[in-house]
Amino acid sequence: MRVSVTVNGHAFERDVEEHWTLLRFLRDGLGMTGSKEGCGAGECGACTVELNGKTVNSCLALAVEVDGGTIATVEGEADHGRLSEIQAAFARNHAVQCGFCTAGMVMSVRDLLRRNPKPTVEEIKDGIEGNFCRCTGYEQIVEAVLDASGQLDASSKGALKYV
Amino acid sequence: MTARFSYAAPTRRDELLSLLADSGAGARVLAGGTDLLGDVRSGLARPATVVDVKRVDGYADLVWSATDGLIIGPAVTINDVLSSPTVREAYPLLVACAQDLASHQIRNRATVVGNVANASPCADMSPALLCLRATVVLSSLNGSREIPVTEFFTGAKRTVVAPGELIERILIPPETANARGAYRKLKRIKGHDLGIVGVAAMSKDGALRLGISSCAATPLLVEGLSAQAPADEVVAAAHAVLSPISDVRCTKEYRTHMVGVYVRRALREVA
Repeated sequence: MRVSVTVNGHAFERDVEEHWTLLRFLRDGLGMTGSKEGCGAGECGACTVELNGKTVNSCLALAVEVDGGTIATVEGEADHGRLSEIQAAFARNHAVQCGFCTAGMVMSVRDLLRRNPKPTVEEIKDGIEGNFCRCTGYEQIVEAVLDASGQLDASSKGALKYV
Repeated sequence: MTARFSYAAPTRRDELLSLLADSGAGARVLAGGTDLLGDVRSGLARPATVVDVKRVDGYADLVWSATDGLIIGPAVTINDVLSSPTVREAYPLLVACAQDLASHQIRNRATVVGNVANASPCADMSPALLCLRATVVLSSLNGSREIPVTEFFTGAKRTVVAPGELIERILIPPETANARGAYRKLKRIKGHDLGIVGVAAMSKDGALRLGISSCAATPLLVEGLSAQAPADEVVAAAHAVLSPISDVRCTKEYRTHMVGVYVRRALREVA
């Protein structure tokens, strides 16, 4: 089946199989391998992308369903190699270890900060509820989000134990 | 996901109902896909045809009126419910249950109708819909029938929906608008998780109702209670209807005990 989509501002038209997920289409059809498949069941959020302005688990959408849609992925974050604010904050705060969750995490944080530019620690935790990180224990990720939203200063850094 | 199926996304209601009639038991309706695509992947569902309802005009409408109450179309997502000022004001119990359903990404896709259609004993929307006296409208080429949610579930993952039928809307009557409501859901972790036990409580005009999930093959309703009844009496009424099982998440004894704890907590919120 033929589908037309706009991904990160670029238009694509491709033939896809009916049973392909949006994630498979992005990775195998368009070569955008930033979005990851963790669980394939909507639990881990590693495949989080934005579809028509809302974050979704791309492992739980069919490619054929999104015909005509607008998609944003982590590949659209950096501008010619220059990291976005959120990506830079993740790097600064060591919010990446193995990096498998990062693409999805960044997409959820981007969505959270758009809805809520100055989230509290509790609101950050709610905002990344659908994104699992199995390395960092979330502390550095929460710090990165506080940093990206201009809420982290030297005095609060490292004070977020056991978040 | 390797299972093969054909896909159709009709834009007209009659086209969609014809497709469902022609495909019979081989058809599965796709709305948010958060249950269906997981089931296809794991092999639990093997549809020949996947019928997407999201392109039919009006199916994503969430409409409230003082005469008809709340009408929830088959493509209305959980986050549509949460972002509706009207729903937030008139149906706090619906909001409480929706807030506890999975993660933000899932709530952006999962639908209220789909949550009910899937008929999981731990579905978060069912306890609210039972308390709110919701009805389900099933439509096919032969017409429509309206079923109270209390008669909708026939077992775990089983409902009265027949092949060729679509849940075209859920109706919540105006009589249950502005009731006090609370939902207490026991999970293994603070983040998104399936419920171990879920207790919804609703009180209005001195009457109290409970909706309980994960404690029987179907979600349960406890009604005929007084909002002034002592907590012990309400807990006893809840315990009387449970038939929990022990499973990978906990034992039936723990479920039974926690229903008592959560009924008391929910009662304090709706008092």
